Amino acid sequence: MKSLVPFLLLFVGLVGCNKSPDISPDTLDGDVVFDASLYQPEKYLVSRARPQPTPAEAQRPVLIAVHGYSASTFEWDEFRQWAGNRSDFAISQVLMGGHGRDYASFKQASWRDWQQPIMEEYQRLEQAGYQNISLAGSSTGCTVILEMLANGYFNNRQKPRQLFLIDPNVVPSDKLLTLVGVVGPLLGYVEADNTTGEDKHWYHYRPYETLRELRTVVDIVRKDLQKGFRLPAGAQLKVYKSETDHTADPVSAVLIHKGLKTSDGKAIDVSMVNSTLHVFTRLDLRENVTAQDRANQRQAFEDIALRLIK
Amino acid sequence: MHLTFTKSGVTTGFLFLLPLWLLSVPARGQGASLEAGLRFQKTLNLYYENGLTVQYRNPGLLSNRLQVGLTYVSSRLGSAIGSNAIKQDNVFLSGAYLFRMQRTVHPFVRANAGWFRADYESEIFKNLTNSSPTVSTELGVLVPTKYRFNAAASVGYNLITGDGSDSPGTLFPLFYQLSLTYSIFKPTAE
Repeated sequence: MKSLVPFLLLFVGLVGCNKSPDISPDTLDGDVVFDASLYQPEKYLVSRARPQPTPAEAQRPVLIAVHGYSASTFEWDEFRQWAGNRSDFAISQVLMGGHGRDYASFKQASWRDWQQPIMEEYQRLEQAGYQNISLAGSSTGCTVILEMLANGYFNNRQKPRQLFLIDPNVVPSDKLLTLVGVVGPLLGYVEADNTTGEDKHWYHYRPYETLRELRTVVDIVRKDLQKGFRLPAGAQLKVYKSETDHTADPVSAVLIHKGLKTSDGKAIDVSMVNSTLHVFTRLDLRENVTAQDRANQRQAFEDIALRLIK
Repeated sequence: MHLTFTKSGVTTGFLFLLPLWLLSVPARGQGASLEAGLRFQKTLNLYYENGLTVQYRNPGLLSNRLQVGLTYVSSRLGSAIGSNAIKQDNVFLSGAYLFRMQRTVHPFVRANAGWFRADYESEIFKNLTNSSPTVSTELGVLVPTKYRFNAAASVGYNLITGDGSDSPGTLFPLFYQLSLTYSIFKPTAE
C-alpha cells in the first residue's frame, strides 16, 4: 500500500499540472480582444478625461463604477448610455486589475490586484480636486469595495458620498467554491456559460487560481461583516439584490444588512429586486430579456442618479 | 442535619443528584448504550455551530454496530454569539455504522437527515428561502473510554446546499465536528 502513495501523488501532480484551455483568439481570453478602456482610458475614467477640473466640475458628483469577477467595463456601459448627455454627474468606469486583458493576466492577478485600480482612480480624483466622489459595484466589484470600507481605506481621505451595491457577492451561490483549494488544482480551470457576444467582454475560462482569490476575498468580507463595521461619516449605501441569483446568493444582502451600519449606527438601505438575473442592471447581450427586467434596470438607474445628485 | 422535603425540593434534589449517581454507578446496562453530550461543528468557510447530541446503540441493532442519534446544533451556540452571524438551527436524526468494534478506535460512516432553518431577522428578506430539509453523510472515528466519556470526530458533507434560489444561502457543503459524550448507560462488555 505504501508503495502506491508516491504513484498517487505523481498522478495527482500530473493531472493537476499543465491544465491550459484551448483559447479562441476572438474571445477576451485571447491576445486580440481587449477591454476598450485600456486603449482609451480618457473615455472611461474621469481622472483621465478631466485631470484639471474647473471649480464647477470639481463639485459635480463622480461615480466610480466597478464591474464583477471575470467581467469588464462593459458591465456598466448601459448606465453610461442611460445617463446619455446628463451633465449633473460623471461616470468613471474602472477596469479591475487582471481583467479585460488575457487569460494569463487574469490567472496571475490576486484580488488585491483586482482592487488596486479602484483605489488609484479614487486617489487621482481626490488629488485632482474632485469633492463629490461616489462608488458603485456589481457582484465582486461590491466585494472589493466592501473590503475597502472594512479595512479603513477612507479613514484619512475624502469620504465617499454614496455607495451602490448591485447584486453584491459575499456568499457565492455555487457552494462548491469553498472546495476550490482541493478540487481546483485537479481541474485547472472552469468554463463559463457565456454567449458568443459575452465572450468578448467576460473571460470564458476561469483559472482555479482566480477562483481561489474570489473565495479568499468573499471570506474576508464575510468575516468583516460578521464582526461588523460602519460607513465613513456622511456616506450612504444602498444594496440592490435580485431575489434569485445563481451567482451571488441573495443571502449576501442579509449579511450586509446585519453587518454594515451607517456611521451613526443606523441600518443601511436594501432593496430586494424581483429578478432572476445576476447583475440585473446589465441586460445587453442577454437572451430573453423581459419587460420586468427592463423595468428593474430603469428603476435602479433612476434611483442611483437621484441619490447621486441629491 | 435535618432536611425538609417539599415537592419542588424533591425535584430539584433529583435533578442535582442524578448526574452524581450516573457518575458513581459502574458501567452497566442491558447491552444497550446511551450517550449524550456536546457537539462542536464548524462549516468550511462559514460558522461554528454547536449543540447537543444523543446517541443510542443496542445489541438488537446490527450487533451493536448501528448507532442512532438525535442532534441539535446552532450558530446561536457558536458564531452568532456576540456577532452578526446569521442565527441558524439544524436538527437531525442520524444512523451510523461502526467498524472494528473490538479495537480502541471505531471508524464509522453516518447518514443524517433533518431540518435547517435560518433567521434573517427582517421583513425585507421575507421572500428569501430560509429553511430546508438536510441530508448529509459523515466519515469519522469514535473513541470510547473506560471512564464513560466518548469522543467522536468526523468530516461531513451536506448533499443539499444553498444555490441562490430555493435553498437557504448559508447551507454550505463541507463541515467537520467533534462530539464529546457521556455514557448514561453502556454494555458491561465494553
